Amino acid sequence: MSGSNPALAEQYDYEIIKKFSIMSIVWAVVGMSVGVYIASELTWPFLNFDIPYITFGRFRPVHTSAVIFGFGGSALFATSYYVVQRTCQTRLWGGGLIPFTFWGWQAVIVLAAISYVLGYSQGREYAEMEWPIDLLIEVIWVSYLAIFVGTLMKRKQPHIYVANWFYLAFILATALLHTFNNLAVPIGLFSMKSYSLFSGAQDAMVQWWYGHNAVGFFLTAAFLGMMYYFVPKHAGRPVYSYRLSIVHFWALSFMYMWVGTHHLHWTALPDWASTLGATFSIMLLLPSWGGMINGIMTLSGAWDRLRTDYVMRFMIVALSFYGMSTFEGPLMALKDVNALSHYTDWTVGHVHSGALGWVAMISFGSLYHMIPKLWNTKLWSEKLVGIHFWLATIGVLLYITAMWISGISQGLMWRAFDDYGNLQYSFVESVAAMHPFYMMRAIGGMFFLTGMCIMAFNIFKTIRQGVHQANVAGQTAVAAA
Amino acid sequence: MADNVQNNQGPQTTGHVWDGTLQEYNNPLPVWWTYAFYATIVFAIAYWLYYPSWPIGQHFLTGFGKIEYTNAEGQKEDWHWNTRAKLLKETEDAVALQKPYYDKIMSLPFQQISKDPQLYSFVQSAGKPLFADNCAACHQSGGSGKIGMAPNLADDSWIYGGTYDKIQETITNGRHGYMPPFAEALEPEQIDDLANYVLSLSGNKVDPAKAAKGDELFHSNTAACFYCHGANAKGRQDIGSANLTDKIWLWADVPDAQDTAGKVALVTQVIKGGLNRGVMPTWQGRLSPEQIKLLTVYVHEFGGGQ
Repeated sequence: MSGSNPALAEQYDYEIIKKFSIMSIVWAVVGMSVGVYIASELTWPFLNFDIPYITFGRFRPVHTSAVIFGFGGSALFATSYYVVQRTCQTRLWGGGLIPFTFWGWQAVIVLAAISYVLGYSQGREYAEMEWPIDLLIEVIWVSYLAIFVGTLMKRKQPHIYVANWFYLAFILATALLHTFNNLAVPIGLFSMKSYSLFSGAQDAMVQWWYGHNAVGFFLTAAFLGMMYYFVPKHAGRPVYSYRLSIVHFWALSFMYMWVGTHHLHWTALPDWASTLGATFSIMLLLPSWGGMINGIMTLSGAWDRLRTDYVMRFMIVALSFYGMSTFEGPLMALKDVNALSHYTDWTVGHVHSGALGWVAMISFGSLYHMIPKLWNTKLWSEKLVGIHFWLATIGVLLYITAMWISGISQGLMWRAFDDYGNLQYSFVESVAAMHPFYMMRAIGGMFFLTGMCIMAFNIFKTIRQGVHQANVAGQTAVAAA
Repeated sequence: MADNVQNNQGPQTTGHVWDGTLQEYNNPLPVWWTYAFYATIVFAIAYWLYYPSWPIGQHFLTGFGKIEYTNAEGQKEDWHWNTRAKLLKETEDAVALQKPYYDKIMSLPFQQISKDPQLYSFVQSAGKPLFADNCAACHQSGGSGKIGMAPNLADDSWIYGGTYDKIQETITNGRHGYMPPFAEALEPEQIDDLANYVLSLSGNKVDPAKAAKGDELFHSNTAACFYCHGANAKGRQDIGSANLTDKIWLWADVPDAQDTAGKVALVTQVIKGGLNRGVMPTWQGRLSPEQIKLLTVYVHEFGGGQ
């Protein structure tokens, strides 16, 4: 509790937010390091060292779980607990459930990582955790929902602020998605192995209904919630349009639920289902952009601060990447574009322009804004925030440019026929052609990771500074008394 | 939006305030946003009309899109747009380009195929991805082979024969090379003698006394090596036994050994343990007879064909 304003600490529960904020940064460093390592394995395969535990197949879910659920998830717990308390002017409801969400969630990430390395996986993207971990997540998530709704219900404000709608949609949708996608039958009570309740094309459809809504609600709606609080708060300006926020909130929530099948174009899935996925993806473009417009237009009028305020730069660049990837996504969801892009690195680049450009950048901006407030101090170094900003931006650009080139090359090489009607390239030629771009991607990742380490250092110093200042203030108070 | 910004009063907020400072303007939806949203809905409807879309009971709207393809009876047929028809149509188009060449390949004897410049060019075009996608994983690019895995196809040494017919037979049916283990049947000194003898056949410097004993053993009924490898040790292509008199090694990496002792150890290992790794899968069923015949010519042209 040391380091925070005693009056505020009484009004709001900051302890849980502090814990989640710190773990968010820890998981970001861990998850991104694993990401850089597996990107390097693809470039320089000797890095596998013939050790099964560290091969791409096992480390890849460690990377995705650590960054999505560890870094992103902890950042969402932290900011949602912060936002819901401050905009409802009340302390969190939930008592013992509150620390349970923290320790439980951290246990999930650790258990997931250990189980993947040992070779346990459901083989479902972003839902690789086996059934015992899934059950733990279920309990934590219901507790989270109860805490959030409980806090909303005892609010001292007549209206629920827009950020909270997005957080609530994220919590509800994630509960639904997690439950149905993980319906599985364990082969024994004491076995980690289970089999999905669904099979064949239906199984694939359930998985991608989950998979894309994990993107839609976990990585989009929730972070829009973050955006709707921290952007206007940091800029000190009102949200651009209340009406736009309502319309795009409902349109986004409704459309996202339909688009998962665009991951299954040109497969055994019936064509009609894939068509619906494509069209709802197209209709999702403007609802997504609603969030970007509302964010960017909120900043307009405070443009001069962009020159000096790197926290705000993180936010505006995040919104720009959000706009870019939500334009790219619908494009890739069209059947004919997907015929080129599917199974290529273009998809990987698309995910990372969203994950690094949008999710990570908006989280960095929000954490840089929130952490000094939690410890009642100022950022230790504004200059390091600037260096982090440039490293992160250059890293994302290197990453997605490499993946565009390599993905589109792959797609074109796989489908190239010569004048005789024969395939022009063998598969291995396309693999060889990827090598320079895999190197470029790994270097982009190294830039991003370096920036992340600088942030971790800066935040560490900021917290220490806050704790120190609080101690000095405490001693002065005692001396004065 | 424009109205409000130009209005002297400026945009109005909704009147709510959260967390001390958070407010919301009551700006209307941007006009361009609204129309662009409608445009995506119009696009979606057009897409539904062209492609199969909404399910209705046990069926679905098939859409106006049509694909003309050739059915199993060889008749042109229209089918509503679907991925199956699209695959048939695209396969048909590529096959139509390939067919005259494959027909010619099937009608001509091997020797004439590579003499026809146009056919030769087709063999190179089709053979490259076929070989790289199916064969190169073991035989390596260009058929250069790899010790411990698969033989070199570009030299003139053939385990099962390098004529067109033999290559075709090998690809079609696959091969399974086998040598029994001798660790139980022979004494360690005998195996050592044999290894020295075998190495001497390809000009390696070995212990002459041991090699002489090995020679005797090789041709005796005790070890009976000559049954398979032949009295001259040049191997038998009908059963795929190795020629031991050349400097080509497939399983024991003799060229890589530092000294005689190392070479003897490698050969000893093979004699003791035998071999059961020389398996090439059958390609019948995975590749068409046309593709196998084309690959036969392609492999023969690597330079070692007989």
